[in-house]
Amino acid sequence: MAIKKLFLWILLINPGISFAEVPEFTIEIRDHLFFPSTLSVPAYRKIKLIIINQDSTPEEVESYELNREKVIMGGSRAIIFIGPLDPGEYPFFGEFNPKTAQGIIRAQE
Amino acid sequence: MVDAILLILREVLEAALIITMLLVMSRKLSLTFSWAVPALILSVLFSWILAHYTYAITEAWGGTGQEWANTLLYLLVIFSFIAIAWIISPVLFTTTAKTEYLSSPKNRITRHKKLLFINLVSAVSLSLAREASEILIYLEGFLHQPHALKSALIGSFIGLGVGVSLGAITYYLFIFASTRLSLRIMFILLVFLCGGLSTQIARQLMQIGVLNSTTPLWNTSRIINEHSWLGELLYALFGYDSSPNSAQIIFYLIAVIPLLIILTASWRLSRK
Repeated sequence: MAIKKLFLWILLINPGISFAEVPEFTIEIRDHLFFPSTLSVPAYRKIKLIIINQDSTPEEVESYELNREKVIMGGSRAIIFIGPLDPGEYPFFGEFNPKTAQGIIRAQE
Repeated sequence: MVDAILLILREVLEAALIITMLLVMSRKLSLTFSWAVPALILSVLFSWILAHYTYAITEAWGGTGQEWANTLLYLLVIFSFIAIAWIISPVLFTTTAKTEYLSSPKNRITRHKKLLFINLVSAVSLSLAREASEILIYLEGFLHQPHALKSALIGSFIGLGVGVSLGAITYYLFIFASTRLSLRIMFILLVFLCGGLSTQIARQLMQIGVLNSTTPLWNTSRIINEHSWLGELLYALFGYDSSPNSAQIIFYLIAVIPLLIILTASWRLSRK
């Protein structure tokens, strides 16, 4: 019961559900490459990233800087929320093809 | 091949640490390793289910299924660790010798042997399942590229071999240590693992927008980068995050506090 209350309390002080419009951006994976490889997004705002894997093989999109990690199967799409980010560059990569699948999220004011 | 070695090693490291830790604990408490067989069988089954149904899981609940499934797995492992910690905690401070304690009718370990068995199986099988499913998904990507498959498989076996070897070395290091010391270190590792898994839950909830990502409270990436081997090792040991935010810290504490209560209660009980 106490844990349940604590969880609700966390949700209340840190709600992810916001009535403000969340800008959406799309990144595609083709031939183990990200398109665009550099994506500019507004700083200090929550962002909805839609990642479409056009390859037939799976990919795991990972970023230490953004603190995100998600497996995206071949021919499918995934949604990842990031931010609000301070202005700067945040690299991400495909863990299954790290040599080619490299990208950067550029947060700017 | 190097990519495969690194990827598999990264996945295997945490699982190897958990299995090693629980094997040492069983050995030190004179328990059999009988839990290891069902744990391994179930981990193969669970990882196959997770890998085979990844499309369906990912698409579930508006595309948030993967994160909710991970959250459930992490939660179950945390509960198992807390149960294991509660059962073994009296041995950490028992004033009598371990064998004397275990032969006493009031000892918690013998009384809750079945519960300990269930939680050992659950902790290992669920921890392994998630890591192994990622390996299966990774290798599945090479099925249509026979030339690359061979290289990926060799790399995977090397990565697995290195991970298992590190686990074996750690096992023997602890086996030669005294029972009380190794059990105390095991308990501390359990605390850190629970905290680390809990921050993973926060990360999953932030990823699907249930929790907001706030500005990191600190950034230690210049001291220990998560890309580095030390960063990877600390991630496996403590769930190291170079730039955690407030939600992750709160989640860390929620998981760690029950274990600290168990520890304090056992210490106070031993002094009576």
